[in-house]
Amino acid sequence: MITAKHRVGLVFFPAFDWCISADHPEREERLLYTRDQIIEEGLLDIPGIVEYRPIVAEEKDIQRVHICVPSVAKRVSEPHRIAAGGTMLAADLVLDKKVERSFALLRPPGHHANRIVHGSRGFCTINNEAIMVEHIRHRLGPKVRIAIVDTDAHHADGTQDIFYNDPGVLHISLHQDGRTLYPGTGSFLERGGPASFGQTVNIPLPPGTGDEGMLYVTEQLVLPILAEWKPDLIINAAGQDNHYSDPLTNMEFSARGYAQLTDLLNPDIVVLEGGYSIEGALPYVNVGLILALAGLDYSHLKEPDWHPTRLKQSRQVTETIHEVVDQVWNLWENRKKANLQQIFGKDRFYTRHRQIFYDTDQIIEKQYERIRLCNECSGWRLIFSETNEGVGLSFKIAAIIVPWLSCNLCRREALSDFDKLTESKTLDYVYFQDNEQDLFLCK
Amino acid sequence: MQVVGIDVGGTNTDATLLSEDKRVLAMVKTPTDHSNILASTKAALNKILKLKNDAHPVQLHLSTTLSTNAIVEGKGDSTAVLALAGPGLNIADFGFNFSVYSIQGYVDHRGRIVKEIDREEILKIANQLRIDGTKSIAIVGKFSHRNNSLEIAVKELLETQGWFKVITLGHQLSGSPNFPRRIMSAYLNASVASIQANFVQMIEEIIKTNPIISDVKILKADGGTMGLKESCLRPIETILSGPAASIMAALALVETCADNAVVVDIGGTTTDIAVIVGGEPLYQRNGAVIGEYQTLVPALLTHSIGLGGDSEVHIEEHNIVLGPKRAGTAAALGGDSLTPTDAAIALGLVELGVKEKAIAVLKQRTKGKYDSWLKLAEAIIDAFAYQLSEAIHEMYQRLTKVPVYTVSEILAPKDIRPKKVIGLGAPATVFIPLVAKILNLPYQILPYSAGSNGIGAAAARPTLAISLHVDTEEESLIIPELAYREKIKRRLFFDRKQARRIAIEKLESYAEQMGLSDYGEIQIIEDEAFNVVRGFYTVGRIFSIKAQIRPAVWRVR
Repeated sequence: MITAKHRVGLVFFPAFDWCISADHPEREERLLYTRDQIIEEGLLDIPGIVEYRPIVAEEKDIQRVHICVPSVAKRVSEPHRIAAGGTMLAADLVLDKKVERSFALLRPPGHHANRIVHGSRGFCTINNEAIMVEHIRHRLGPKVRIAIVDTDAHHADGTQDIFYNDPGVLHISLHQDGRTLYPGTGSFLERGGPASFGQTVNIPLPPGTGDEGMLYVTEQLVLPILAEWKPDLIINAAGQDNHYSDPLTNMEFSARGYAQLTDLLNPDIVVLEGGYSIEGALPYVNVGLILALAGLDYSHLKEPDWHPTRLKQSRQVTETIHEVVDQVWNLWENRKKANLQQIFGKDRFYTRHRQIFYDTDQIIEKQYERIRLCNECSGWRLIFSETNEGVGLSFKIAAIIVPWLSCNLCRREALSDFDKLTESKTLDYVYFQDNEQDLFLCK
Repeated sequence: MQVVGIDVGGTNTDATLLSEDKRVLAMVKTPTDHSNILASTKAALNKILKLKNDAHPVQLHLSTTLSTNAIVEGKGDSTAVLALAGPGLNIADFGFNFSVYSIQGYVDHRGRIVKEIDREEILKIANQLRIDGTKSIAIVGKFSHRNNSLEIAVKELLETQGWFKVITLGHQLSGSPNFPRRIMSAYLNASVASIQANFVQMIEEIIKTNPIISDVKILKADGGTMGLKESCLRPIETILSGPAASIMAALALVETCADNAVVVDIGGTTTDIAVIVGGEPLYQRNGAVIGEYQTLVPALLTHSIGLGGDSEVHIEEHNIVLGPKRAGTAAALGGDSLTPTDAAIALGLVELGVKEKAIAVLKQRTKGKYDSWLKLAEAIIDAFAYQLSEAIHEMYQRLTKVPVYTVSEILAPKDIRPKKVIGLGAPATVFIPLVAKILNLPYQILPYSAGSNGIGAAAARPTLAISLHVDTEEESLIIPELAYREKIKRRLFFDRKQARRIAIEKLESYAEQMGLSDYGEIQIIEDEAFNVVRGFYTVGRIFSIKAQIRPAVWRVR
């Protein structure tokens, strides 16, 4: 009798009655063929693979991560809450030891959603992994070390934005080089904020990277970094658009390659991200992921149109990958030697200006951000954010964020600034987020 | 039409005669002869027909353990499976306890043929199987419910040789997905097919000598009936018809059955719990499980717990635990074990057996805080009610967590909470009122507890279901259960309404072909429609529709 070697919790939610729009890649049948394949293969009958119904994330869960403008109710629809809730459940299943590993196989995805949410970008509105991470920290406390390995073909810019100054999180994103694909970011020079410099690890891969390259990167770079950082939990944001049949990207991974990657990473929690080859890739990749998580044999798995020559990666691509791995490893090894004053300045605050484009909703957001360079904690933050006029309503807001394990001074300063800002006449809303106190205010 | 319902159970065979207006005219009970199901059926039939005092024709409904026994005891024909598995899980990993040969050829999830069969390979394997004495063959393809042509091609190839007496095709048993279950269903079906065929042949002889019997129907695991002809094609559907008969009896006897209810059938060794939602019983999510075999056979959902009138009594320091094993015959009924039945008899809750013997066996077992026979007896009755109500509660808890795949089902889950407890079985009068009190629900105890399975068999009505799958991009329309496949025309204009209409028409003509007439309404139980998009343009639609004859029973008074 076939039995899973590792007990796997599967939170499967294909949201068959929801789409962004009828012909949009993020539409009802995205996981239809995946469901057909999973059920036809009999995966859900295998002892040790247990299916769960997602829960619905509450406003409070979402506000631990996001500043939704003007409010959660206005920005976040029910399908998003279910996807976030299902991801939280996947974490609970592992933390409660109901299963060894879990897989939130659900949609809509989330890894392009930033902390500030004016709308949808890259098919994402709220960030499922980030909401799960905050949920985990609210259960286990702020000292838990969480690594997120994002293997979607697109740079996980939203997740990077949320954790970029967070010492508790190591964020590794493998993706097709931003010079050739949305959202364009994800250079290895983006290395994180002053309090967690080097913990944002970007691995941009050349178009044409296949299983061989991906496995090389995992073994030579990702695993050594994880081994050194020693996370308590590993989360894999498992986009499936590196597949050779994906219509939006130019990568060459196979279903079996994905299964091998999962085997190597040995993640505690896997969350589906993108992947829009809904017939040619997703059914096989997802079966491969479930088999790998369960410790079952996936060597008989292959796509109907797969051919052994697929494994062959051009020599030029291989060489580029080796260079990237050397470069990123070098940056990682020397992260503690970096001169932070040179990078973030000697002032009390580090400031940056950014413009963020919401492709899905056609919004341009302008941000001014200020982080206190604090020796005691990761520093309180102030973000001014403003959206363009034009499509829909535009807002001008300020958000104050107190980090986990904040020092008293930062918390005091943050509160007093919040009071001052609420008197401003030019701001539509002022938000205050303090996760350690489980506090969220909006004025 | 009058109906005789016969349920050949593990211990007894129950027969019930219903009048034309579905009143109980007669009931008999005879012991079951395990080694000869046909003889048991005949004996019960003769006995009840003797009680019939008119010459009106009757319809005969049979629920037997024939296939179930053959499967559980491994007495089916020597059967091998030819599996068109394609890539995916390694078939060898499943560890089937029968021969499965992986052969070339497969279709994908859209039903497109990716690889054709290899005739030489098949003939080579089949020839060896024939030499080794294999009598029956099951041919099963992955995704054959989307495209049955490879299964049919293998069958036609084997038929040219005439080596095997039975060939079962996976797609004909069910339109539902699940390849391993399809393999197990087809294997079991092929292995019991000749047993069922013999049985049907002998039943047909009985009909010849008993002109009063106008028609015979066989009971299925879904609580419905099917014709003799169909039972030869799909004998696997007759498994587990006994438990289904008891639930159908509950539906037939209960006063108002349009609401939600929980059906509790308390027996000697086990208690079966079933769930009624809006007057209809709930089904197993995937299909019946028999022994170690998981099948695609549609079956009523029943949860069986090891708790009954003859359960073991474990007396612990702070509480009493009953079951899960049977202790033996109650002391009050001539045995030597303490059972819940003894507790009920000792307390005078039922008039049965020898009360003194019940009290005596209770006295022997007094212990700790249960220091008198009275305290012990009361505690046993309470423990029974507590364990049973807990099991009911847990079953509903599980049902509310069954995965669903749409936003609307998450936000507005169907209300399945019971409004009533319906009790069946001999001990029901004692325990159901207590269980209902714990669950804070009204209750109803059904009459005729003793022979209710015969009533269920008699009151059952035909069920039939088909699955229609239309893929307009592939221009294909398939109904696996009917082995029906056509190329659709005017694919751009094919819509959901048309798909539903075809499903209903095909089901109607299938019912007619199977000789069914007195069936209830046809309902659509699954209805999915998805776009097929290439690039950014919709190039087709996929419709998946399941139509069935609504499972129903005759109201019995």
